Amino acid sequence: MRPAHPLQLIAGLAVWSLWFIAIYGGLSVACQIAPPEAEAGALNRLNLMLGLLTLATLAFLLWNARRCWQAINQGDSEEARRQRFLATLGAGLHLVGAIATLFVGIPILVMPPCL
Amino acid sequence: MTDITANPQSDQAEQDRLHQDLDEIWGNPRGWRALSIVNHTTIGVRFLVTGLFFFVIGLLLAMLIRTQLAIPGNTFLGPDEYNQVFTMHGTVMMFLFAVPILEGLAIYLLPKMLGARDMLFPRLSALGYWSYLFGGLILLSSLLLDVAPNAGWFMYTPLSDRVYSPGLNSDFWLIGITFVEISAISAGVEIVVSILRARAPGMGLHQMPVFAWYMLVVAMMILIGFPPMILASLMLEISRAADLPFFDVARGGDPILWQHLFWLFGHPEVYIIFLPAAGIVSTILPVFCGRPLVGYRWVVLGVLTTGFISFGLWVHHMFTIGIPQLAQLFFSAASMLVAVPTGIQVFSWIATLWLGKPRFELPMLWLVGFIVIFVAGGLTGVMLSLVPFDWQVHDTYFVVAHFHYVLVGGMFFPLMAGIYYWLPHFSGRMPSMTLGRWGFWLTFIGFNLTFLIMHWTGLMGMPRRVYTYESGLGWDLPNLISSIGGFIMAFGVATFLLDLFLHFRFGEKAGENPWKADTLEWATQLPPTAYNFVSLPDVTTRHPLWDQPHLPKAIANGEYGLSVSGHGRRETWGVDPVTGRIRHIIHLPGNSMWPFVLSALLAVVCICLLVSAYTLAGLGTMAALVVCLRWSWENGAHPKAAPDAHTKPDEPPLHSRTFDGPGLWGMGTTLISNGSLYLSLLFGWFYLWSVSPNWQIPAQNPLNHGFMLAALLPALATTVWLRRVVRQLKQKNISRLGLHLWSITVLGLLHTLLLVMLIFEAPLKPTETTHDAVLLVMLGYSLLHAVVGVLAAGLQALRVHWGYVGISAPYEPKIVLQWWVYTTTVFVITYTATVLFPLTWKPY
Repeated sequence: MRPAHPLQLIAGLAVWSLWFIAIYGGLSVACQIAPPEAEAGALNRLNLMLGLLTLATLAFLLWNARRCWQAINQGDSEEARRQRFLATLGAGLHLVGAIATLFVGIPILVMPPCL
Repeated sequence: MTDITANPQSDQAEQDRLHQDLDEIWGNPRGWRALSIVNHTTIGVRFLVTGLFFFVIGLLLAMLIRTQLAIPGNTFLGPDEYNQVFTMHGTVMMFLFAVPILEGLAIYLLPKMLGARDMLFPRLSALGYWSYLFGGLILLSSLLLDVAPNAGWFMYTPLSDRVYSPGLNSDFWLIGITFVEISAISAGVEIVVSILRARAPGMGLHQMPVFAWYMLVVAMMILIGFPPMILASLMLEISRAADLPFFDVARGGDPILWQHLFWLFGHPEVYIIFLPAAGIVSTILPVFCGRPLVGYRWVVLGVLTTGFISFGLWVHHMFTIGIPQLAQLFFSAASMLVAVPTGIQVFSWIATLWLGKPRFELPMLWLVGFIVIFVAGGLTGVMLSLVPFDWQVHDTYFVVAHFHYVLVGGMFFPLMAGIYYWLPHFSGRMPSMTLGRWGFWLTFIGFNLTFLIMHWTGLMGMPRRVYTYESGLGWDLPNLISSIGGFIMAFGVATFLLDLFLHFRFGEKAGENPWKADTLEWATQLPPTAYNFVSLPDVTTRHPLWDQPHLPKAIANGEYGLSVSGHGRRETWGVDPVTGRIRHIIHLPGNSMWPFVLSALLAVVCICLLVSAYTLAGLGTMAALVVCLRWSWENGAHPKAAPDAHTKPDEPPLHSRTFDGPGLWGMGTTLISNGSLYLSLLFGWFYLWSVSPNWQIPAQNPLNHGFMLAALLPALATTVWLRRVVRQLKQKNISRLGLHLWSITVLGLLHTLLLVMLIFEAPLKPTETTHDAVLLVMLGYSLLHAVVGVLAAGLQALRVHWGYVGISAPYEPKIVLQWWVYTTTVFVITYTATVLFPLTWKPY
């Protein structure tokens, strides 16, 4: 998708939403089907999977934020202003998605999953 | 044909004639024919007035609550009456006041702000209004009959199921609210499509008034957020009426599923209420500061972020039900996070105040009150997002105090600012500062006295929803103060209502653009005509009236586009959603009785369902279906939709003669909402499979693999064939279009019949296990879509014969194609989820 495409306005946080559903849903199902030992603490296969998914999502969002940022058009025409608006917002919203992923994902590092 | 664009210097007589011609096309009928009015100005005002009426009812209920709690051991209300009163207070305020009144304001304002003549689906607006009115009245009637809902505005199961609530109380809530939600969804579709497709030429996304951004996000939130609750309400009503055990643990259900579905709606709902009000703030504040909003782009970023993140908070209402701590922390973190985009907006408002030259007119008083109260409510919200604190104060008056700070501060105060600000628009008169100030201060002081004290009442442990309490627990004095504050606030609201009443009689006449505002709604007459603008100007700035102060006069002189009236059409520009470049002329339907008739029939159906008169309900549904079909007949190339289809040589075509009309966008957004409902159902299926404590599955999958495949094939064939027809229509290379569409109808009918057979052949026991009950609902959902798809395809075939669809009016089959793509996709997913997916671990 082009960096100044209007769908960039929803792409970043849509990815965040999918990630959020995946970690909450995945955690809930895994805790029902095969909960890891409580003694293992935060170091277990489930948290590792959730952590890797979080890192991958984070990387994708940051990469897309950078892509949008680099596409910001500095021209002064109406078209350039419109593209600048979309690209800047796209970059910002991907960055917000990345920050939200990081912030919500931090507890994976410290909490056992199924207590 | 009257055309004055070629002669901008036209004399007064010519202008008057033009106004008269436009009035003839757009004007409102009087007497009983006023029921047929569809224009957005009237519908918006009706929403606002009805919303205020329900607000007064909600306020009176609140006064009953505060009277009861003023002293310990009070017997003013009994426990059952109290349960009805607090349930109805919450229900009326949330469903019948907060959301509809803001939708009404948006319906009234958006076309004017965007430089259009109307919303794009005026009949849908009217349907929404009548559904809201009738649904609200049905719900209110329960109070008079002493069977009002009494299980809380959240209707938790099992309290609300037929075992613990055997009367009609819960049914009134479930049926009444579902009916009212038709209004929310129709407003959602209407607002999204109108913002994206009906703006002034040249108004790109980056130049939209900030209120339009807020409403765009809110409308999308409504479309996605409301369906989970609609589904939950339908499931609970079915379980009450037909004993399907979705929430019954003994038969494999789970009451927690209700909580998930309810709060999937309920938390975004808070932001659905807050964001339009914040949009009012972002619109008004710059006007009274005399400068543009600081950080327009940041605010848009904040609004979009809030729209998404607010969907990731619902479990914070369920912290005490026993979900894993890690999951609680996900939601706790998201709940803290949502304060950030709201904070961005608050900083933008403060910066605008700081850098501007604030004028403390009446609306500004309410805005300052809003900032103070809302920020305090936001801070207690962050406190509640912390799991241990939430556990501590859960179900106490602390929570009640918090959400009143957020909702009253975040919605009611900005709404009041908005009402005072746009009052000259409704009446052509200026508000009274004296009474207005009295109203504000009484409300502000009364509110804080009631709810600030209530935080301490909660921290001292007083639980919510108790109808009385013993003396000596330390709750006596704070409750008395809260009650006194509540009555002071009520006097404040009464002062406002008195002010409003006197205003229309004695208010000082308003001049042109009385607040020196920047947005286009102030370029209309005060009060506006039904067509808003005589001519539609190009707009390439965020502040058209600041940058071009002459605009109102030039518009009234007919110096811009579409100032032609002789064709008898209601029309506005259809623009590119991103750039705002003109794509076509959108012609809009005129006044119609169908929305009123359809809503009245649906009201009859609801009442029949309430009294278990199912045969009559079935007949009412059939009648409603016939009305729907008749309604849709008067579309596109039908003479009632466009009496004269000719356009000038230099003008773009009418939308019904292209492949790009608003109907396509309307269907697309409707399907997004529909998809949200289906995904909620799918969530329920997987949730129950994995979490339900007593999930029961039959020895064999009741759905026949082969039968499902056999039913799928004609659906796929229908979709593929229809796609081919649409492609050929696009290429203007199709013969015997009618025959194609009839054949497609037959194929769709085959799919429908196979689905009916599948449902009857499958050995489902929906009253014995939740497993089978959910399967039945999923198949029923597919069947309903197939029936609608067949009717739509058949209708298209008929319209070809009548000459309303063809190469010159090609776009309707594309709308039907969207429906069939959705129907087929849903059936494939159902097949995968219910037949293929279980094969992977062979549970049967």
